[in-house]
Amino acid sequence: MGPTGLIPLGGVLQSAAAWVATTWLHHFATDYKWVWATVETLHFLGMGLLIGTVGVLDLRLIGVAKGLPIESTQKLVPWGVAGFVLNTLTGIVFLAGAPYQYLYNFAFQMKVLFMCAAGINVALFYRAGAWPKARTVGAGESAHWAAWLAGAISLFLWVGVMYWGRMLTFFRPPFVVPPK
Amino acid sequence: MQFLASLEHSAFGTWVREAPTIWAYPTVLFLHTVDLAFLVGINVAIDLRILGVASSMPLAPMKKLFPWMWAGFWVNAVSGVALLIADATTKLANPVFGVKMCFIMLGVINMAWYKKQLFSDPEALARNPVSSRAKRVAIVSLVLWIGATTAGRLMGYLGPVSGLE
Repeated sequence: MGPTGLIPLGGVLQSAAAWVATTWLHHFATDYKWVWATVETLHFLGMGLLIGTVGVLDLRLIGVAKGLPIESTQKLVPWGVAGFVLNTLTGIVFLAGAPYQYLYNFAFQMKVLFMCAAGINVALFYRAGAWPKARTVGAGESAHWAAWLAGAISLFLWVGVMYWGRMLTFFRPPFVVPPK
Repeated sequence: MQFLASLEHSAFGTWVREAPTIWAYPTVLFLHTVDLAFLVGINVAIDLRILGVASSMPLAPMKKLFPWMWAGFWVNAVSGVALLIADATTKLANPVFGVKMCFIMLGVINMAWYKKQLFSDPEALARNPVSSRAKRVAIVSLVLWIGATTAGRLMGYLGPVSGLE
């Protein structure tokens, strides 16, 4: 895979990156060393919160800890959403701080793709009929196959999001100077 | 220091750090991250439940999540040793690394307390809300795992930094 990843260099992407580099957020993210370190730490904590809470629901859907009624595990999900929001906000700071490093990075493009897929999976889970069946599943019972599948896909996609996130530095475009 | 340098320059240390393959440094780092999420994340989920979040969720069956946390711990112990060998002279000279190890050691003791005291006592597990003693332990657990994660991240910024993350 070339340095430009899935999307070719130039055009809209280049203008977007150039604009981002003029914003106050870009300067905030790059002018003080502590900002990047703090934001990265928050990004990891948000990740733990998201995986730990949504992960419990996903694991229950695929048959782990069956003593938990499925609807009760769903009460943890707002905390996962909080982790997701925290990571979206901190992610925007990274993006503003080093737009070229991310926009032209194959791993970043894959990470966004996996997050979109996770979003579609959640929407299908709640809207396409799996959730009404899953929420009545009590202690000791197995989830409907569609709910099992949604849980398995969710686990796969979030592990994938972490994979591509970790791969960012190894797919850094050659013309980008590391932010540290 | 001589010993650490020889560790760092051993065939294994050099392979982890420098092998031009996705299976060396990138994969070790990926495993360390994913299992951080499972170890810390599930601990946080249990802490939150003890503190009263999702209180309709029975606490006892969460015992079945412990193997997932222990798997996370062991994968991270092994991948962590590999990352340490690859960067031994820098990481072992960094006080933040010592802070991280203290947090993890206490966090693991905390997990063992959960398992031996709380999760082996059906009466305590059935109490809703959970005892205030368990709640205090849950707050300590949250502080320890947030501390371990924060210290791990800051090793890349404070003290001696080699550029390896």
